[in-house]
Amino acid sequence: MSSWRNLLLRLGEKCPEYAGNADFKDQIEACFSVVRREIEHSGDDVYPFLIQCAEQLPHKIPLYGTLIGLLNLENEEFVRKLVENTQINLQDALETGQCNKIRILMRFLTVLMCSKVIQPSALVVVFESLLSSAATTVDEEKGIPSWQARADFYITCILSCLPWGGAELVEQVPEEIERVMVGVEAYLSIRRRVSDAGVSVFEDIEETNNAVNEKDFLEDLWSRVQDLSNREWKLDSVPRPHLSFEAQLVSGKSHDLSPVSCPAQPGPPGVLSGIAFGRQKHEAELKYPQRIRRLNIFPSNKIEDLQPIDRFVVEEYLLDVLFFLNGWVRGALVYLCLAHRKECAAYMVGLPVPFRYEYLMAETIFSQLLLLPQPPFRPTYYTLVIIDLCKALPGAFPAVIAGAVRALFDKIADLDMECRTRLILWFSHHLSNFQFIWPWQEWAYVLDLPKWAPQRVFVQEVLEREVRLSYWDKIKQSVENAPALEELLPPKGLPQFKYSAEDGTDPTERALSLELKDMVKGRKTAREMISWVEENVFPAHGFDITLGVVVQTLLDIGSKSFTHLITVLERYGQVIAKMCTDDDQQVKLITEVSSYWQNNAQMTAIAIDRMMSYRLISNLAIVRWVFSSLNVDRFHISDSPWEILRNAVSKTYNRISDLRKEISSLERSVVLAEGAASRARQELESAESKLSIIDGEPVLGENPVRIKRLKSYAEKAKEEEVSVRESLEAKEALLARAVDEIESLFLSLYKNFLTALAEPLHDASRDGTLRPSGHADDMTIDLEDSSVMELDKDDETPKKSHPNGSRERNGYNLDEKQQWCLTTLGYLKAFTRQYASEIWQHIEKLDAEVLTEDIHPLVRKAIYCGLGRPLDE
Amino acid sequence: MASLFKDLAKISAYRDRRFPGTQEEFEEALLKSTTVYVGNMSFYTTEEQVYELFSRAGEIKKIVMGLDKNTKTPCGFSFIMYYSRDDAEDTVKYISGTILDDRPIRVDFDWGFQEGRQWGRGRSGGQVRDEYRTDYDPVIRRGGYGKLVQKELEAQRQLVDYGTGSLGSYPPVMPPPQYGRHSGNHGHGGSYRHGRGDYHRKRHREDDHHRSDYPKRSYVRESRRASDHESRPEKNPRFRESGDSDEEDDDDRKRRT
Repeated sequence: MSSWRNLLLRLGEKCPEYAGNADFKDQIEACFSVVRREIEHSGDDVYPFLIQCAEQLPHKIPLYGTLIGLLNLENEEFVRKLVENTQINLQDALETGQCNKIRILMRFLTVLMCSKVIQPSALVVVFESLLSSAATTVDEEKGIPSWQARADFYITCILSCLPWGGAELVEQVPEEIERVMVGVEAYLSIRRRVSDAGVSVFEDIEETNNAVNEKDFLEDLWSRVQDLSNREWKLDSVPRPHLSFEAQLVSGKSHDLSPVSCPAQPGPPGVLSGIAFGRQKHEAELKYPQRIRRLNIFPSNKIEDLQPIDRFVVEEYLLDVLFFLNGWVRGALVYLCLAHRKECAAYMVGLPVPFRYEYLMAETIFSQLLLLPQPPFRPTYYTLVIIDLCKALPGAFPAVIAGAVRALFDKIADLDMECRTRLILWFSHHLSNFQFIWPWQEWAYVLDLPKWAPQRVFVQEVLEREVRLSYWDKIKQSVENAPALEELLPPKGLPQFKYSAEDGTDPTERALSLELKDMVKGRKTAREMISWVEENVFPAHGFDITLGVVVQTLLDIGSKSFTHLITVLERYGQVIAKMCTDDDQQVKLITEVSSYWQNNAQMTAIAIDRMMSYRLISNLAIVRWVFSSLNVDRFHISDSPWEILRNAVSKTYNRISDLRKEISSLERSVVLAEGAASRARQELESAESKLSIIDGEPVLGENPVRIKRLKSYAEKAKEEEVSVRESLEAKEALLARAVDEIESLFLSLYKNFLTALAEPLHDASRDGTLRPSGHADDMTIDLEDSSVMELDKDDETPKKSHPNGSRERNGYNLDEKQQWCLTTLGYLKAFTRQYASEIWQHIEKLDAEVLTEDIHPLVRKAIYCGLGRPLDE
Repeated sequence: MASLFKDLAKISAYRDRRFPGTQEEFEEALLKSTTVYVGNMSFYTTEEQVYELFSRAGEIKKIVMGLDKNTKTPCGFSFIMYYSRDDAEDTVKYISGTILDDRPIRVDFDWGFQEGRQWGRGRSGGQVRDEYRTDYDPVIRRGGYGKLVQKELEAQRQLVDYGTGSLGSYPPVMPPPQYGRHSGNHGHGGSYRHGRGDYHRKRHREDDHHRSDYPKRSYVRESRRASDHESRPEKNPRFRESGDSDEEDDDDRKRRT
């Protein structure tokens, strides 16, 4: 890479490119002198690269802005092009709804304004376009209030610029910026407050009315910006390198900026009713998602004491680094994994702020890991970032992470079920990267809790996942400091083969099993095995015994590894398929699988998952089995049935989304094929209509050889078109079937949830709530207590043990039925939320068949929350 | 970001000599493939451990464990096939360099598994890379996270200062691999490998089940270095007893011949 590029990339870093000199002013000057020369030969390479740097390393924007300000003094034409292109990029991002790009480019423009590159009034015009679009959207007559998410996003973008240029704007165009602020305030007064009910990490199936008084994200940002304005726009977190060059920069010629326009409203104006409103709102929120929901997990004396706006700015930096340094950007043709990971951790650690922020950093990363409905990236990404940060800051970060885990653990009973699962997966993976070392003795008290207490279940599930990533003895060793916890380890994971020799099983069945094993060893075909089953076993022994023998024996042969299992299913799956054609039989099949692997949750899940892959088991059968009483009884005690349910739903969903992808690519092929066919036909026609002279005679049509060739081209192109069309139609038919399939899956899922919940809810809930009445106040006191104890622990007592009250400390006072209901409702909400987009498409059916008048209000609430559907519609 | 750092690296530094096409075709295959190669694994790691870790990046279609061509036992690499390209990309991005079974594994795109590629191609029968492996996990030596947690309990709060532009002070997490250069810790790496490689174990796999003419596998049990056994468990604790009996072993051989 040429040196000017390196200098631009590394600007602001202490690095060899700048001979280890970290002074911003020196760096900018050094970079400037190289880049200005480069512009003379290849300016057209430089400005796109500069814009890319600003877009992808946004925490360095002030440095780039100042550099560009200096370049503007030398080469106005170059900077004019840069500004023009930035505007084009912003316009494009607005039209395509690329949230991060919009936000970052607006920050870039703000900083360019600070360096006198663009006129302040031009920036205000951009603000006003966004503001007016937002105001229109939420207008009940002219706008589409269901798209408030986009309007909120635009306002967020405007407010987010102010930390970078508020001071300059107020100084240079006070009236205009005041107009914008008034406009924002007006907007805030007409929009609806956004409810986080379905997507908050700490849930509240009970209504505690706190939410009503809390500010939503935009109101919160507004108050931070007002606070900033009260401090005369001074803040610590944004470097202002342009001030060092102010004397030079003032003489620069500010460029104008073409106005930008926001995309038209996505539909006819007006307030929609009920379902249509909810559906559109859901769509808008997916397109313009909220970037972060603060967790506030650390006690206030722990988290760095920052000005409100500084906290916001640091979060922006961190989220930007997480976003732009995610391995690599999709579609790019490079492999940069390791290089990038280091960059990511390094950039996160080296933000340009003069204060410490480890706690804020941890909280921000956890807020992403636990973001609902979906984190921006796969959870393993955050695992990796945390691992790298622990290594990059070995003296500080591991302790902060441990603190976060403790804080989350203390509140685990309020944690959303989906977040609990993510936390379990993260924590086990994290520990597996650090030798499974954890002060388990701190949590040994969970053994005194009932076996359904969320903290106890959490410990048990973390241990389960650790064992899967490692092996039993190793994990047993890792809990040495709290040996009693061994009780929570999963069983050793060996299969339970019904027909193993030692057991006193039925000798006839054992003989059949041995016979079957011999057939496998003798490499008999599936067909031979089927006729053996149909002729020799089934007539004499009936379905149940036959199924037991076949399934247990085949599973035993495939028990050695995942590959063995696949092999045996590929070879003899047909035997099972032939036997289990309906849901009843398939439920029995699953029962047999779960009995064989009763000591191994992972293998149970894998075996069922593979059988669904080979279509030996339908998703409906899995749902039925999961909701059979044996499983229902452990809903609140184990993640295992839920894991199997999650797999089944996600596999069904993957099938449908793969089909959609294939169809959209086939649709493109059809258009191409049509084009090709019509071009070929036109060419042929025009050749045919031409007069040519053959043997001195004018004849209609060109040279016959060419005509023949064109004819065959046209035919081929037509055939191609027809064949692409046919495959599209075939896929569409498959999709239609898959849509029906997923609809009946969700209906069945909801009906099963309803049936399972009906009675327990009736018994457990009083006054429509699940917490024992009168205890609600105790709960809040307990929580406050726990944060006080947190202080004690961290500041004074090195050893955390509460012999006299760990149970009270955690406020655990639910009976089994209440906990069962809370857990099951939590999973109901989590499933609904994860597949909300899919479910919204079938909402009419759901309303008619599931969400009827008489369903329990808590069930309705869980489903509505998951869908983001207002309860009062 | 990639567009910024484009020229810094190639899609894979490793060029498989068995790939039948040109360099361009090789890179093209890597860009489309849904298969990843996992290297530097522990010889003890089971498919289920691999499944648990790698299914966190997406639905797994298949796992093929690499086997030592002489001993027919796992020798530290594997191929994992996903259904989707995105999932394969995520494993390369997020799992490469992390720890599985106490070892930092590497994950690369692979051009696609073919029969025969499960056999190690090193001179010793194992992974090629083992032959000049000199590194070992630096995290383990440092005592890692757990010690740090304990330190925290001792109220040690000496937070490092990271003000502006602290990139220069960012400590290297992984020492760069020293291929071919014999550094001081080579001895460690070497004996580590031999210790593991010679330890006898029994694994039964039929990754290549779809072929009936594959070579008969022998389960060679060697114990050349008794000294290496002393500190090790006599039996790999991770294998399910039922799948591990001699009877099974015989059965498997019969079935295969």
